[in-house]
Amino acid sequence: MTNLDLVKRALAALTLLLVVGGLLGFFFWQPAAAETAVAPQEAPALEVAPLGTILQQDDQQAAQPPSDAACISCHSTTDATVTFESGETVSVHVDPNSLAASAHGMAADPLACTSCHDANAYQFPHASVAEVDVRSFEIAQSEACVRCHAPNHLTAHPGLESENPVICTDCHTSHDVQPVDYWYTLDATTVCADCHVERGVELTDQAALSEHIQAGLFSQTQQTSEFCMGCHAAPNQTMIFPNGDEVSITVDGTGLHDSVHGIDNEWQALECVDCHTSVVFPHEPKTAESAREYSIEQTQLCANCHETQHEDASVSVHAMALAEGNLNAAVCTDCHGFHDTPVPNEPRARIPETCEQCHSTIFNDYAISVHGHALLDEDNPDVPSCVDCHGVHNISDPTTASFRNRSPELCATCHANEEMMAQYGISTDVFDTYVADFHGTTVTIFESDDPNVETNKAVCYDCHGIHAILSPDDPENGIKENLLITCQKCHPDASSNFPDAWTGHHRPTLQDNPLLFLVNLFYAIVIPATVGFLGFLVATDLYRKVRGR
Amino acid sequence: MSMVGAPRNEAEIEQELRSRGEYPRFRLMARIEHIILLISFTILCLTGLPQKYALYSISQSMISAMGGVETVRMIHRWAAIVLIIGAVYHILTSAYRLFVMHERNRVLPDLKDATDLRDTVLYNLGFNEEPPKMRKFNFGEKFEYWAVVWGTGVMILTGFMLWNPIAVTKVLPGQIIPAAIAMHGWEAVLAAASIIIWHLYNVLIKHFNKSMFTGTLTEKQMEEEHALELERLEAGGQAYTEPPLDILRKRQRTFFIAAAIVAVITVAALYWMFTFEDTAITTIVPVSTPEVFVPLATPIP
Repeated sequence: MTNLDLVKRALAALTLLLVVGGLLGFFFWQPAAAETAVAPQEAPALEVAPLGTILQQDDQQAAQPPSDAACISCHSTTDATVTFESGETVSVHVDPNSLAASAHGMAADPLACTSCHDANAYQFPHASVAEVDVRSFEIAQSEACVRCHAPNHLTAHPGLESENPVICTDCHTSHDVQPVDYWYTLDATTVCADCHVERGVELTDQAALSEHIQAGLFSQTQQTSEFCMGCHAAPNQTMIFPNGDEVSITVDGTGLHDSVHGIDNEWQALECVDCHTSVVFPHEPKTAESAREYSIEQTQLCANCHETQHEDASVSVHAMALAEGNLNAAVCTDCHGFHDTPVPNEPRARIPETCEQCHSTIFNDYAISVHGHALLDEDNPDVPSCVDCHGVHNISDPTTASFRNRSPELCATCHANEEMMAQYGISTDVFDTYVADFHGTTVTIFESDDPNVETNKAVCYDCHGIHAILSPDDPENGIKENLLITCQKCHPDASSNFPDAWTGHHRPTLQDNPLLFLVNLFYAIVIPATVGFLGFLVATDLYRKVRGR
Repeated sequence: MSMVGAPRNEAEIEQELRSRGEYPRFRLMARIEHIILLISFTILCLTGLPQKYALYSISQSMISAMGGVETVRMIHRWAAIVLIIGAVYHILTSAYRLFVMHERNRVLPDLKDATDLRDTVLYNLGFNEEPPKMRKFNFGEKFEYWAVVWGTGVMILTGFMLWNPIAVTKVLPGQIIPAAIAMHGWEAVLAAASIIIWHLYNVLIKHFNKSMFTGTLTEKQMEEEHALELERLEAGGQAYTEPPLDILRKRQRTFFIAAAIVAVITVAALYWMFTFEDTAITTIVPVSTPEVFVPLATPIP
């Protein structure tokens, strides 16, 4: 064989191949729109060839084509079955409602029974089925589909030439065929999952599927953050809520990685779905009306792990305000952020700065106080931040009577702590001397246990200020310079002598409160002397009585 | 028995009592005073002492049982008014007895009280064979009387200061208020202790002495504690002196005018005391709640 012969034969073979291929290509060619992927929002109607032409082409025009009414009259009510040679049986029942609701029933030009079922083969009385078993029957029937629909998307599935073909009805079913929109919903994936996940049928050509379908549906790898970040890492992506709120859905992966939930998490670095447990791909539509409503909904996710904190927060003043319909009330993410959640108390100044986001005027008061100044400017570890007085998650309403009545004990937790106060040269007598005073006795002892008693007796913060607590020695605004004004806040008639009625948190001494000191001294002598004297007289009289005189 | 304005013959009454072996001890005026004092003093102790000893749980239980500290303080003030009325009544009846009836003042202490005290102790301890013979008011009773006078004075004075601290400090230095608090509390302790140790022992344990309610004492008790008075009565002395009726009427007229004036002044003073000042008891609202939600300009969410 010469080289020339070889070339001639090759050319001949190639020509034959081109001719056959061309013919096949011509036969199967369809407009491009039917096979290209379409966006889920705008699923176009499937382009199908005009029905009449196909029927004329294929059909030899039966003398009396059976009417739909005739078919349905039997098939909608019967419970008859067809028995195949293989012994398998199939019900011949057809639900006319699901047929009417199917893509074919809802079409502008609804299909008749004979559009799919060969009118010649179904003359009445019906001839017995030719196929030997159910599968052969199904395969034979599915050829009706390709009369209208191009079988292009079956390329990844084994075709009729294979031993185990996948046929149209395997996915689309026979009578209740779903419209195109359905295949973009989550439900549709269950059809694929039936074979490829449940029954473990391996994919033959992964590359034919989109990245998300491959990774998410068939490998179950949408559990990884990489899968989510495939979309959410891209900048400038937003989501629009029904009320018009537009929020970014771009996630800062680095921020998440560096957050408390990230690489340093003692449990494990959290994946997206560890919090977003119910999010699956493709996403279900959001139900929230607004961005705020969505944020509030999402805080439930925090509760999955942070149960204690969530329980505490659920009785807080914020939760109560939220329950009353105040959507501004703080929820988890308002204080802690999301995705880039930092350690909430590092540095400690972060605490007041967090509260400042909503309580800016109160923060301003705090910032000029002795406590705020020491924390914000000196990073002092002892002074109270917001949470030391108000609590962390179970923040109670500070305007209630019980908060007020118990507030002196709150101050005392630090100000009666000798070790702590010694560092700053502050007297720890302040609490005891307050309790010993009229105001303090009333509030801390008689009214502290009854949250319903509204006391008008002064508590620490009535005199020292609520958030703008200054040093008593402050030359301008300190309480010592302004004691009369302070008293007059509650006692407007007070005169310049009146402030001396307050012993200034000093224990009575001859120097500080000579009159009080002397009164105490007088009775320290008179009471024991009187009691002793009278007791002596009574004792002598008892002695007399005992002796019987 | 003698009622003001309707005197009966004292001598007749005495005769009637003695026929039953009893001797007149307290007239109705004194018994009324005692009941006023008994009731108000008890209420004042029950409502006041728990406030002084606030740290004890029994005090706190008592206060809450009586309806909370604010209620207790109002009860205390009303009881104080009753006590003050009792004190004024005592001053008026005493004045009547001194200036209208011209009775001798028999409650002032003197040297005999000191020797009676000494002799009583010596007798009790067995050094003397006989107890001292004592007068109508013995040393123990005089001590109690003057203790009550002193105590009531202190309590009314300091109590007024605590009731009206703002008004008081317009005149007096501020230091007087904490001193008054301390004095009011300690004096109460002193009074309560004295009453329990001395008075209750003497009238309930030593004898069961009902004379403050019946007005009379038995001969035996007279012998033991008021032997000199018994001797005086037995020698024909009258328990109470009684001036001639025309002189009595004349003095009574003057007295009743003066007493009416004093009574009116007292009522006015008490009303004034109650309404003297306002902002110590009913203070203005101490704190107004500012707007709390003042967010910084931050984007949602």
